[in-house]
Amino acid sequence: MSLSRISAIALRILKQFRHDPRTIALIVIVPLLVMALIGYLIGDSGKEPLPVAVVNLDRGADLPVGHVSLGAEIARALSADLAIAVHGASSPQAATERVRSTEVAGAVIIPADLTQRVLAGTPAPIRVVVGGTDPSLQGPVLAATAGAVQSLSEHAPSEIGFRAPPLTVRAAPIEGGVDLSPLDYDAPILLTFFAFFLTFLLTSVSFLRERSSGTLERLMASPASRLDVLLGYLLGFIGFAVAQALLILGYAAWVLDVRIAGSVWLVLLVLVILLIGVVNLGISLSFYARNELQVVQFIPLVLIPQVFLGGLIWPVQTLWPPLRWLSQLFPLTHSTVALRAVMVGGERFGDIAGRLLALLAFSVAMVAVGVLALRKQRA
Amino acid sequence: MAEEPQLAIEAEGLVRTFGHLRALDGLSLAVRRGEILGLVGPNGAGKTTFIRTLAGLLRPTAGRVTVFGRAPGPRASVDVGYMTQSAALYEDLPVLDNIVFFGRLFGLSRGEARARAAELLELVDLRGKERVPVRSLSGGMRELANLACAMVHRPRLLLLDEPTVGIDPVLRLRLWEHFAELNAAGTTILVTTHVMEEAERCHRVALIGAGRAIAVGTPAELRAAAGAPSIEEAYLVFWNRRHRDGAS
Repeated sequence: MSLSRISAIALRILKQFRHDPRTIALIVIVPLLVMALIGYLIGDSGKEPLPVAVVNLDRGADLPVGHVSLGAEIARALSADLAIAVHGASSPQAATERVRSTEVAGAVIIPADLTQRVLAGTPAPIRVVVGGTDPSLQGPVLAATAGAVQSLSEHAPSEIGFRAPPLTVRAAPIEGGVDLSPLDYDAPILLTFFAFFLTFLLTSVSFLRERSSGTLERLMASPASRLDVLLGYLLGFIGFAVAQALLILGYAAWVLDVRIAGSVWLVLLVLVILLIGVVNLGISLSFYARNELQVVQFIPLVLIPQVFLGGLIWPVQTLWPPLRWLSQLFPLTHSTVALRAVMVGGERFGDIAGRLLALLAFSVAMVAVGVLALRKQRA
Repeated sequence: MAEEPQLAIEAEGLVRTFGHLRALDGLSLAVRRGEILGLVGPNGAGKTTFIRTLAGLLRPTAGRVTVFGRAPGPRASVDVGYMTQSAALYEDLPVLDNIVFFGRLFGLSRGEARARAAELLELVDLRGKERVPVRSLSGGMRELANLACAMVHRPRLLLLDEPTVGIDPVLRLRLWEHFAELNAAGTTILVTTHVMEEAERCHRVALIGAGRAIAVGTPAELRAAAGAPSIEEAYLVFWNRRHRDGAS
């Protein structure tokens, strides 16, 4: 063992990094970004309460102590819950519509005869309308409603003879369900994440090789236009990318028995549109990488903000508004919602058309960025 | 019908900068159709920048340049074959697939590209190697495959950027025999080289220094004008003369 040789090797590595400011920047930026996002998402500050619609139809009852409405008490308890923000709604139908459009995470419908039923000792269910495809949305709404009911049972005036048992919370998913297996809920996330990750890796490294081997220069010295090169690449890669996504989907469906309530073709359409954008994103970003190491360093930079802010783990609705708007630029935000809607909720083309349009816009934008990036090759 | 330009390449006051660096600094040069013109000069003189500009890979910062009367770019590239400094080939693909691919890029049908590849494999003595992946070829064979790819669309102008670097003397001679054959068949060749023996084989030589052509002529004319026994020494004479005259 020679200390001088060991130190020569270590020094050489340090010197190499000193001459590679891009790698140094990525070494600094990536962990800071990750920690800042984790600190924000897991910490208590800066997050918005989950929007919930409350429709209180309870007529109450006139008792010797005066007019009593348990529905009003529950609505008050929900308003006091800091985890949710109560929004009014004119009718159960209007509230359900707001849940469907993901404007609110859920709707608490308090029936007209709630107080009467409790007084009569008959079951009095409170209906909580939820989307049924995203546990990160429906979980907190159901928990908040259960909490409000619990607080009522503890603080209700004894004169009304309140007994908790008849008062129940009944989840009413629009589609999907509230008691599906975690894999059913998470399979769309895993599918879209791995399809994105594997395709990005495949394209960016391959295109980097095309550049570093000099063959890209040769392509650009031919009559092929930048769009020819880009579309050729896209066509060549999309088959492999979709095959990879199909393998994941097939394994999930047949081996893991994951729920696919909607059309498999629609799942495939979502993936194809997403992957068109990802192939071009890989090509574009590979222009900013000098070597394979830098491409690999781009992966957390590209993926982590999308995973953390795209509704894959934490609901988008609770994000600080500027981050919420940012999340709408991420393809994973739209592909996750669309795949969950189709696979868990069984939704149709028309229901996810907006998400498909957003994914299409991302793909078109990435083709344009790719063409601009190729301009560097003919400059 | 428009008259065919007599010049294959015409550059006037060509400037190309990279930040503060002026890689081409007012280069003017005319290459006649059907000649072999050698670009000779030290590293960093601007030879490769000039070749890449002609291949349509770099836009001039200032000045004018045409290839067979057209500005370099995708449309002019059908007339240009570009042999890069190091073999730019798809390593995993067999030699034949590489040649056919580049043929298809230049508009040849699959059949035409295969027929042309067979011709080229014969020409560059790679017959029998068509199914061998490029990564399994020796350095010299790669260069031959590289040349075949540059030639696949029968370009009227061949740009050769130091085509014989790292190649043994026997193969170097063979390559120059190929260049001579191609030239005899009408191909104009612009070649950069550091090997004076190769410069002597060119019809004319342009001595390039600091982004300009400092002298142009046949090897004999250059030697005579400089009063030097070799092109190498003639280069030094012209370079010193230029500096003495104020680099104007």
